Amino acid sequence: MRELEYAKAIREALFQQMGVDDQIVCFGEDIALYGGLWGATKGLQEEFGSERVFDTPISEAGIVGMGVGAALMGMKPVVELQFTGLITVAMDPIVNTAAKARYINNGSMNVPIVIRSITMSANNVYMGQSLEAWFTHVPGLKVVVPSNAYDVKGLMIAAINDPDPVVFFEHEGLYKTVCEVPEEKYEIPFGKASVSKEGNDVTVVAWSKMLEEVEIAASNLESQNISVEIIDPRTLVPLDFDAIARSVKKTGRLVIAHEAVKVGGFGGEIAARFAESEISKYLKSPIVRVGNKGVPVPYSAELSKYVVPSAEDVERAVKTTMDLPKA
Amino acid sequence: MVAKNANDLSAHDYRKMYSMMLTSRLFTQKVLELNKEGVLKVGLHPSTGQEAIGIGACYSLSTDDWVIPSLRTMEAFWAKGVTVLEQLNAVIGNSGSISDGKESFHHCGYPELGIMAGSSIVGSQVPLAAGIGLSLKNKKTNNVVICFFGDGATGRGDFHEGLNLAAVLNLPVVFVCENNLYFQTVPASVGMAINDISDKAVGYGMPGVTVDGQDVFAVYDVVSEAVNRARNGDGPTLIECKTLSFLGHYPTMLKLEDIRDFKENQRWRKRDPLEILGTNGRDKKYITSEDVELITKQVTKEIENAVEMALQTPATSRESAFKEIYKNPFGEI
Repeated sequence: MRELEYAKAIREALFQQMGVDDQIVCFGEDIALYGGLWGATKGLQEEFGSERVFDTPISEAGIVGMGVGAALMGMKPVVELQFTGLITVAMDPIVNTAAKARYINNGSMNVPIVIRSITMSANNVYMGQSLEAWFTHVPGLKVVVPSNAYDVKGLMIAAINDPDPVVFFEHEGLYKTVCEVPEEKYEIPFGKASVSKEGNDVTVVAWSKMLEEVEIAASNLESQNISVEIIDPRTLVPLDFDAIARSVKKTGRLVIAHEAVKVGGFGGEIAARFAESEISKYLKSPIVRVGNKGVPVPYSAELSKYVVPSAEDVERAVKTTMDLPKA
Repeated sequence: MVAKNANDLSAHDYRKMYSMMLTSRLFTQKVLELNKEGVLKVGLHPSTGQEAIGIGACYSLSTDDWVIPSLRTMEAFWAKGVTVLEQLNAVIGNSGSISDGKESFHHCGYPELGIMAGSSIVGSQVPLAAGIGLSLKNKKTNNVVICFFGDGATGRGDFHEGLNLAAVLNLPVVFVCENNLYFQTVPASVGMAINDISDKAVGYGMPGVTVDGQDVFAVYDVVSEAVNRARNGDGPTLIECKTLSFLGHYPTMLKLEDIRDFKENQRWRKRDPLEILGTNGRDKKYITSEDVELITKQVTKEIENAVEMALQTPATSRESAFKEIYKNPFGEI
């Protein structure tokens, strides 16, 4: 099968869906003439015209607010917030308007908007933030965290077709990664995890770019005869808890890893679900979380490598759950 | 539809405007009375003293046009066809309300009537209106949206971003500021270094007009011109209506005398929008004293009937609280 980059898979999803649904519009900073800083919207304006694809002023609250207004009127805006740090400026229209509109209108109105927000791992205290957990805390929003090109295409198409507001976290560090991506259109349903790798000893749950580090850790551990099963939930809201529970029933051990700060991160929610559930009796050892150690991601690459969780951190966590000596 | 000039309004229009403005006045009075008596636990953001703005502005709209009210634009609901009973049910938040008790009346949306729900975040409706305008422009139906907000909203970033986007994209939006000179408990001078909010328009490249918000015909003239411009594809306008909320921000909680000089209120009360309309109508022989009496009777009766019915309407069901969060629910996240 053909291989495609993550950024190009997003672009292909937008092209394919805009071609069949004229209610879809795309706007944001640098997305039209330049085609997005990573090319995810390249050529869209040429193909679909400047009424449907256009650049905006530097105006994040306005971009999302206008998008929500248009969505309430039946359009399907796909808006871009160039970096996750910028999403803080647009919290009001996301949290107070988009997430509440269906509810306050008792179902007579809805907000089919996709808010694309781009996360970075490193080198920037503002842009290097992983803020996905905040949005899981707001009823009415769906939260998508794709980790590869195949998923990002199918999840983007599902997000556009979803009748409710979706916060879609892309990752700058994944844009150039490639995998097999079908040329035809397909949807990946929300709330359906994928098993990235099967294994027997420990379950590791991770999403977005963290998955790359988990895969490196799993392969290192494999050579030490430790078999890791990797679960990628793909969407945090809705969450496929059953898939995680099934895996833990088999392995009896759980590690949750994310680039986001450990305190208040979504890993805590997954751990809490176990604490509340019958499934916890299958656990042979305490759950271990891996996350940012509670430090703004510093500019210096030398420094940020100590802060952003790595394959080594995952490896250590897995060994902790197995009560093995750590390197 | 081309909106008319105030000179072209008929006796029928005068009486209709009077009736709707009086509905706000008496509705507010009744709700506050019922609150005082302990019959209703809720209060409201009164539009008393400001009734000319919503009526004068919305009177230039056709049925397919949209409006997004501020927390105080009660008149937009009457002008768009919401009934007194529907509004009262919404104030109470019972099962007869359009949101089924999920939102207070001033933020209720009536999509079939072209009323968009706002939110409690002052000024958040401004970029939303740009989005409504974007969609109307896209549909090429020549419809427009009026966005209402108070003076307090103009200090927010949303105001700036919404007006800038509407101007840059040439959207069919009429921004109507109800400048009632107070930000909740403080005079507007606390948050504004200028006197006229319409001055801000020049910074966005759109026309800005200040108008007497007590005079329904003056408001109508200015807004209908802006509506016509927007309909013709000539972009947005910022209109500032100078007014005063006679009862203050939220009278069941905040005492007017703690906030404002009594004399200022007296001065403004001499410019009561209902009296200005009435005098103008009598001069033109469009409204007689008998008309006023008859309209007052009709409106009073309608409100009394609505109170009786709304108080008998059952509370919303427990299930309602858990419905309409997502189209397809999936349980706890």
